[in-house]
Amino acid sequence: MGFSVRELYKKYGEKVVVDHLSFQMDGPGVYALLGTNGAGKTTSIRMILNMLVKDGGTVEWNGGPLTLQTCNVGYLPEERGLYPKNTLMDQLLYFASLRGVPRAEAKKRIAYWGERLEATEYLFPPAERGRAAKPKKADQLSKGNQQKIQLLLSLISDPELLILDEPLSGLDPVNSDIFKSVIHEEISKGKYLIMSSHQMATIEEFCTDLTIMNRSKTVLQGNLAEIKKSYGRINLFVKAEQDIRAEIEAAGVTILSDVGFSYQCRVTGEAQANGLLKTLVEKGVTLIAFELREPSLHEIFVEKVGDAHEEQ
Amino acid sequence: MKNSKLHGAGAVFRYSMQQHYKTTSIRIFLLVLFVLAVASFPLLSLTRGGEREVETTAITKIYIRDELGAFPLEDADIHADARFANAVIVRTGMDDKTLAETLSKEPTSAAAVIGVDQKLTGSFIIRGLYGEKGSVGSADLHTLNNVLEEALNKARMRTLNVDPASAEMLGKRAVTRVQTVKDYTEGSGQFDTGAHMIVNLFYSYFVLILAMLSMSYIFQLCMEEKVSKLVESLMVSVSPTALLVGKVLAVTCFIFIGLGIVAGGLVISYFIARQMGDVSFIREGFIKTFEFDPTALHLHLGSVLLIVVCVLTAYLICAAYSAIVGSCCSKSEDTQHASLAVVLLVLTGYMVTTFVPLMESDAATVFISLFPFTGLFAALPNYISGAITLPVLIASLVIQLITAYLLARLAGTVYRMMLLYRGGVPKPKQLVKMLREHRAAEKAAAGKEANHGNEA
Repeated sequence: MGFSVRELYKKYGEKVVVDHLSFQMDGPGVYALLGTNGAGKTTSIRMILNMLVKDGGTVEWNGGPLTLQTCNVGYLPEERGLYPKNTLMDQLLYFASLRGVPRAEAKKRIAYWGERLEATEYLFPPAERGRAAKPKKADQLSKGNQQKIQLLLSLISDPELLILDEPLSGLDPVNSDIFKSVIHEEISKGKYLIMSSHQMATIEEFCTDLTIMNRSKTVLQGNLAEIKKSYGRINLFVKAEQDIRAEIEAAGVTILSDVGFSYQCRVTGEAQANGLLKTLVEKGVTLIAFELREPSLHEIFVEKVGDAHEEQ
Repeated sequence: MKNSKLHGAGAVFRYSMQQHYKTTSIRIFLLVLFVLAVASFPLLSLTRGGEREVETTAITKIYIRDELGAFPLEDADIHADARFANAVIVRTGMDDKTLAETLSKEPTSAAAVIGVDQKLTGSFIIRGLYGEKGSVGSADLHTLNNVLEEALNKARMRTLNVDPASAEMLGKRAVTRVQTVKDYTEGSGQFDTGAHMIVNLFYSYFVLILAMLSMSYIFQLCMEEKVSKLVESLMVSVSPTALLVGKVLAVTCFIFIGLGIVAGGLVISYFIARQMGDVSFIREGFIKTFEFDPTALHLHLGSVLLIVVCVLTAYLICAAYSAIVGSCCSKSEDTQHASLAVVLLVLTGYMVTTFVPLMESDAATVFISLFPFTGLFAALPNYISGAITLPVLIASLVIQLITAYLLARLAGTVYRMMLLYRGGVPKPKQLVKMLREHRAAEKAAAGKEANHGNEA
């Protein structure tokens, strides 16, 4: 079992939009594809799924080329929609039939996911005033509820490989949590997931490995925990009951921002942080918080993409 | 099927059909179409109103005012018709006012004024008159007029000393035929320009309607996924080729089911009209209106098969061409601009086909039959009316089928290439450039996959 992308390459005219992207997943898990707008994430996904003709590179699933026939893929694209005038149930059954899911099984799955996504009332509308329920059409649903149905479409075939492009964009916190719980469920089932998002906190919550792209190129790649470890604990958050700016600066620590008596700082390493802590204790400063931590994905992303921008 | 590019086309077809016929407006439209078709012949028959002849007439007395005097009518010719066998015939010189007063007092009387129509061509005219309050109706008068017309013709022949056999000969129409000596000696290849024009006009008009219908449906279906932003979700479930094939098949069914409903309605309509009375007026009226001789047409049992093949081939060409243009549209506004490309091509073919017969040139006729975009309109009518031979028709059909196949393949490629495209409608030059790049990339990708396969 395994999924790999090797030397994926695409150009439009003279403009290279994906420049030799390679990554692989040896087992089930979540892989994140991150990047700025126009970095080439969606183009890469489209090439992975054979929607776009590759100018170079290969995509493999279990050692062979990934095609509609060799891999059961579920895909929630960034640009998503539904047939506005068709009923939800018709559309879901249509997608199920395209994926070879028997009708009875499809209905079971729709009922299950409908309940999980809290969309049962739209899929199976209750009878009103003794009259048979009128099936709901897509244009009768709010954007968030339409997104639930779109996620259901991508799950209807019980895919082995699930690709989610900006899955949480435009969702309110309640619906975001519902989506997250569904993603957790898929992870727990041992599925392969590829996620692309601008919401770093979400990616950090799910992914184990990642690639950061900027302007078609890979600027950072690897296991998230190892990447963070490689940066070391250089982020220091200090909160005190008094102004300690002078003490921090005297210890050679860089202040990134300060609000009130809260300071976001950058240290060179644990020794420097310990030195500052010792000084503050000796001076009798009342500390509310003193936290030394690894950089967040957001910070790594901004740093990497920022570096690449500067280089260019 | 699983490994085929067409896997899923059946599901697309079924879904498109299901959604089409679920639409209430479509169902109402088809119902109205069927009702109109069923009502057409009976309505035609009814609106002829008084022109229909009655089986028994209420007329018991006929006043005849013969203003011509040159061709004396004989009572026996009128009484020879069973419906007027017992009618009293009165020759009169009454003026219009007196005639009107008489008819208003006598409810079962009618009058006929025979004269010359000075306003028109100077031909003879028989005006049938009846009282407004009597039991005689317009249908009675039309029956009487027909009998009097026959009697007047006989009177004219008698006056000119023409015997009945000669009179029948005079009544026959002279027609013209152009044919080769070989065809003449073999008794085949008859050609009537009038018939050619009419068949051409009707068939090419039918194909034109078919082309316009297919265009509007196919445009709509080609853009459906782009507009609803479902295209990417669909592309992991079904190949673009299968998607297009399923959709075009569904459109074909919509159109031909619609035509079938109209045709079925017309057949039912014809039988209903036959139950209501004589329907020969339909055929006779058609022949009289367009002045052509239907016996000059090459119509036989095999013609039905030929018509089906020709209509389907013509449809395929129009549908494939519409699919190419429709695939380039990303939003509804694009169709206004893009439809011109289809309309122009189809209308040019239609116009050329309609006007070329006027040139009466064999070379032009053969050329427009063989050129695929005019052949789809012209080949069948040219064959039916004897302007081209069967081998030319078959050659034309082969060329059209090859054209349809090539266009369909091109449509598949353009559809695949343009599914994710979101710009304006590309100009032909741009489209060709995009196609070249797409093909080159496809070939390169296919080569790499083959190498990958070998390595594996």
